[in-house]
Amino acid sequence: MSTTTPDPIETLPTAAPAMPARPIRQAPPFATAALRVFDLSLSQMLWSRRTIFLGLVVGSPVALGLMLRILDAFGFAGNIRMGGDSVNGSSVFGAMIWLLYLRFLVPVLGVFYGTSLIADEVDDKTITYLFVRPISRTAVLVGKFLAYVVTTIFVVLPSVVVLYLCVQPLGHGSLAEGFLSLLTDLGLLALGLVAYGALFAMVGAAFKRPLVAGLLFVLGWEQLAMALPGYLRKLTIAHYLQALVPHVMPAEGLGSALQSLFRDVPTPTTSLVILFAMTVIFLALAGWLVERREYVLEQ
Amino acid sequence: MTPLVVADHVSKWYGQVIGLNDVSVSIPTGITGLLGPNGAGKSTLMKLLTGQLKPSKGSITVLGEGIWGNPRLFFRLGFCPEQDAFYDRMTGLEWVSGLVRLNGYTESEAKRAATKALEIVDLIEAANKKIGGYSKGMRQRVKLAQAIVHDPELLILDEPLSGMDPIARRRTIRLVKDWAKAGKSVLVSSHILYEIEAMTSNILLINNGRILAEGDVHSIRDLIDEHPHTVHVRADNPRSLAREFLTRDDVLSLKLEQDAIIETSKPDSFYRYLTELAASGHAGTITEVTSPDDNLQAVFKFLVK
Repeated sequence: MSTTTPDPIETLPTAAPAMPARPIRQAPPFATAALRVFDLSLSQMLWSRRTIFLGLVVGSPVALGLMLRILDAFGFAGNIRMGGDSVNGSSVFGAMIWLLYLRFLVPVLGVFYGTSLIADEVDDKTITYLFVRPISRTAVLVGKFLAYVVTTIFVVLPSVVVLYLCVQPLGHGSLAEGFLSLLTDLGLLALGLVAYGALFAMVGAAFKRPLVAGLLFVLGWEQLAMALPGYLRKLTIAHYLQALVPHVMPAEGLGSALQSLFRDVPTPTTSLVILFAMTVIFLALAGWLVERREYVLEQ
Repeated sequence: MTPLVVADHVSKWYGQVIGLNDVSVSIPTGITGLLGPNGAGKSTLMKLLTGQLKPSKGSITVLGEGIWGNPRLFFRLGFCPEQDAFYDRMTGLEWVSGLVRLNGYTESEAKRAATKALEIVDLIEAANKKIGGYSKGMRQRVKLAQAIVHDPELLILDEPLSGMDPIARRRTIRLVKDWAKAGKSVLVSSHILYEIEAMTSNILLINNGRILAEGDVHSIRDLIDEHPHTVHVRADNPRSLAREFLTRDDVLSLKLEQDAIIETSKPDSFYRYLTELAASGHAGTITEVTSPDDNLQAVFKFLVK
C-alpha cells in the first residue's frame, strides 16, 4: 500500500462552493448607506495627516490664550484695550471667536476638508472600492461629509473650550457668567463648519483645482463683501453667522461706525433657515455633480 | 447564450490620449482572460466595464444592463482593481465587512461574509491585523476578498496575481476556476500569458487600445514560447534560491539584486517548479513573484509587425 503526501494547496478550502447561498439583497436606504460610508471614513479622516496639521493650526489661538493668561497671572496684562476701550476676558474671547475662528479657521477648515471629501479618496485611489458598491455616489459624498463634520468638531470645539478657560477669567471675568454664551459659540462654530463644508464639497465636486477657488472665496470674496456696505454681504456665509454671534463686538473706529449704519443684520431665525437651506442646496448640487463626474485615477 | 458583457464600438479618450479605440467585443460566460502589456488599455476597459469611466463613444452593457450610473449592478458584480490602495489603518476584517455592509448586509451578516471571504483567500489568520502591515501578496488577497465577499455572478479582476507568492498565486488561480465551476463568470487581466493560460483558454488580446484577437489561447501560445521569459522572485534567502535555480536547464540567466531575476526558456515548467519549491519551503520563504511585461511587449511587437 502506498501513501501520498497531500498537496498543501489542494487541502485548503475551496472558493465558490463554500460561499453561503445568496439571499435577494436590497440596497441600503440612502441614510443607512451614508452612515455606513461615515463608519468607514471616520477613523481615516480623524487620524489623517491633514487633521493632525490642522489640529496644530487650531491650537494657535489656544497658545495665544494661554500666553494672555500667564501674563495676567503675573500682572503684566494690565488693562486689555480693544478699539480704545478697556475690555474684560469675555470681550476678548468673543473677539477671538468671531475674528479667529468664524472668520478664519472655520472657513479654512471648510476649504481644506470640504474640497477633499472625494478628492482624497481619488488621490489615495481608494474611491474605487466605494464606487463599485450598490449605493449612490451621493450617499458616499454625504457619508464623507458627516465624517468631516465630526472630525472638524472634534478638532475645533475642544480648543474653544480650552481658550474659554484661559481667556474668560481675564480682567476678573467669571467662567459661570459666560457659560451660556460659550454653548452658543460652540453651536455656532458647528453650524459654520457644516455650512462651509457643504459649500466647499460642492466646489470640490465642480472644480479641477478646488483649493484655489475655495481659498479665493474665503480670503478674498468673503473679506471684501463683508467690508463693503450694501447687499453683497448677503452672498457670504459669514453674514448669516454674524447674526448669531452672542457677543457684543467692540467698536473698531470710524470705518466700523459708518459700516454699522448700513448694516442689515438678519434675525437669528432667518440666519438659521438660510444656513440650513444653503447646506442642503450645496450638498444636493455636490451630489448631482459627483454622480455625473468621471474620476480618472492616475496610473 | 446571452453574452455577459457587450462593448459596442467603444472608444475612450483622456484628453488627447486614446485609452481605447473602437472596441467591439462580447464576453461569454465562464472565464475570459484579458491579455496585454502595460498601457494596452486593459485597465481602461475594466474601468469602463465597472462604470467608473463613461465611454467617450459607443455603449457598454453588463449582465444585460447599462453600467454607467447604475449602482444596482454591483449586487451582481465584484471588482478587484489593480491599484495597491487601501484604508491602511483598518484590519482586513473591518475593511471587507465595512465594504460589504454597503451591499445591504447587516453587521453580523457582513462579519460572517467577510470572514468567509478572507478564509477563501487564505487570509483568515491575518484578518485582525491592520492592512498597513500586510505584505504585497496579502494586500492582493484582501483586495480579492472584497471583490468576492458578496458572492457576485461576475468577477472582474485587474491583475489579481501581481505580487503574489507562488502558493497564493496557485490558490487564486484555483479560486477563479472554482468560481466558474459554480456557474459564475470571471474576466481577469494580466500581462503574463502563463497566468491567464492557467485559468482559461478563452482570451482577449489587447494592445494600443485595440482588441487584436479573441478566442483560443493556443493560437498565440507557440509564438510566445519563442521568447525567453523573465521572472522576479523575492525571497527571504535569495542565494539559496539561486543555487536551486542554477541546477535547471531552462534557466538561461540569473541575476541577484534585491530580487532574484531569472530568464527562463520554459516558463510553464519554471512556474510549476517555483510553486513546488515554495510549498516545500526547501529554499526558504518566497514572498513575491512578478514578471515585467517586456516579455509580452516583445511578443506584441512580433505580432503587429
